[in-house]
Amino acid sequence: MTSLSVRLGPLELANPITTASGTFGYGLEFTDFVDLSKIGGLCTKGLSLNPHAGNAPPRICETPAGMLNAIGLQNVGVRAFLEEKLPKLRSLGATVIANVWGDLEEDYVTVVRALEGADGLAAVELNISCPNVERGGMLFGNSPEATRSLVGRVRAATRRPLIVKLSPNAPDLVESARAAREAGADILSLVNTFVGMVIDPETAKPRTSFGTGGLSGPAIRPLAVRMVYQVHRAMPDVPLMGIGGIAGLSDVLEFLAAGATAIQVGTANFKDPGVSDRLVDELAAYCEAKKTTVAALIGRAHRVGKTGGDAGAEG
Amino acid sequence: MVEVPDRARPYLRRAYSVADADPVAGNVEFLIKTIGAGTGALEKLPETAAVRLLGPLGNSFGLSGFAKGDRVAIVAGGIGAAPFPMLLKALRQAGVPCDFYLGGRNTRDLSIRTRFEGLVRGETILASDDGSLGEKGFVTEALRRRLEAGAKYARVYACGPMPMFASLAKVVAAHGVSAEFSTEAEMGCGFGVCLGCVIPGTEKPFVVSCTEGPILSPEKIRW
Repeated sequence: MTSLSVRLGPLELANPITTASGTFGYGLEFTDFVDLSKIGGLCTKGLSLNPHAGNAPPRICETPAGMLNAIGLQNVGVRAFLEEKLPKLRSLGATVIANVWGDLEEDYVTVVRALEGADGLAAVELNISCPNVERGGMLFGNSPEATRSLVGRVRAATRRPLIVKLSPNAPDLVESARAAREAGADILSLVNTFVGMVIDPETAKPRTSFGTGGLSGPAIRPLAVRMVYQVHRAMPDVPLMGIGGIAGLSDVLEFLAAGATAIQVGTANFKDPGVSDRLVDELAAYCEAKKTTVAALIGRAHRVGKTGGDAGAEG
Repeated sequence: MVEVPDRARPYLRRAYSVADADPVAGNVEFLIKTIGAGTGALEKLPETAAVRLLGPLGNSFGLSGFAKGDRVAIVAGGIGAAPFPMLLKALRQAGVPCDFYLGGRNTRDLSIRTRFEGLVRGETILASDDGSLGEKGFVTEALRRRLEAGAKYARVYACGPMPMFASLAKVVAAHGVSAEFSTEAEMGCGFGVCLGCVIPGTEKPFVVSCTEGPILSPEKIRW
């Protein structure tokens, strides 16, 4: 079988199929559906210094081809993650990417420091793009200056591969990407959810208690593909992880073609928990059948011209 | 231009309680009321259509701790009756008599009662908001009247909308009856990952309905 392994700067993954933070719990919830040692990696639920309760319900609302969520980063906290979750993930052979968030720069740095000594972590992903908290989160992602300052401080605190998860709600995504890169990000993951809103037509009340929420699922895929394409075009040397409505092989091929070196499956994990495991097989079969490699699939849309390419099209 | 039926909505799976199951025949039954896009799409499926199913998920009603002579009550609001055929069968097997309280807005809401014919080994009490069938008023009031008149229940099992649970929690607390509520919340995944279906809790800020429930005692819920 052809190797599917990919290299994203200092991070090597067995294959480009990983799972997105906030849609995969701590990985352990998926052991009935996914061989955690088989997928390229998993991004944990966003970890904060202390356990965090999250927002009041209602927190989710279904939308056409997707959903709106305003969970508010509920998580067990970094200490419980290190003591209860990580040892099990390690024994299952998972490639673990710890997703980190905080209210203040100092919080991010403290969490990243707490993770620094832990065995069995492949990388750290900074969430500077959560739209569902009052402080922190997206505020760091929506200003290049705030991004630069935060990423710089975290960079100084860790030797691990550093991924920065960008916000599609930023005024200028390429500028944000550049700020994160220049401040020391090894890899960029994009995109987090788009701020959206659903209003009950009868009561005129928002359907999430937070008022707004993050839109995810296949509904956002073309937007996300465009953003990956755009950032890859502007910064072709920066390894990217593509995220946004990936639910099948054609979606994976589409993001790779746009310039992503790896992808993260998100909302699809909710409705189809085994999807990431299956995508590894499907990608392997595809490469075998087409006598190609993952490396050859990356950035293909930039090489074939504006209307070319046979992959990623849907009937 | 031919319009293809919409497959983009619903996107997520739907959470339903198992109404009944026959392990020998290999049947699982769900009682589903057509309300929105998801139930509408399910209703339109042809009779032999295959659907994918993830389950069983979550916890189940408790059936232990009864003493000889104990009697229990089931309180259901409309389609909230869905999880009870199997429980009624199990109670019958355990030899525990059960009164069945079924409420709804009107006669139409109570049409589900036909599913319970022959299953209830006790009294069936109907209540409708408009008084068109059974006692007039909320089903929780029908239970309260009987408790006040001296009815004794070792446990109350309930399923219905949140406002029904909120008044029922007060009724059972006032009479010192233990209860199990089969809660309802919008669920994204059903196995504890999306954290969309949380319910405000008393022992911690939120209870995850799909994995820690859906059956919860009212003391665990912050009303």
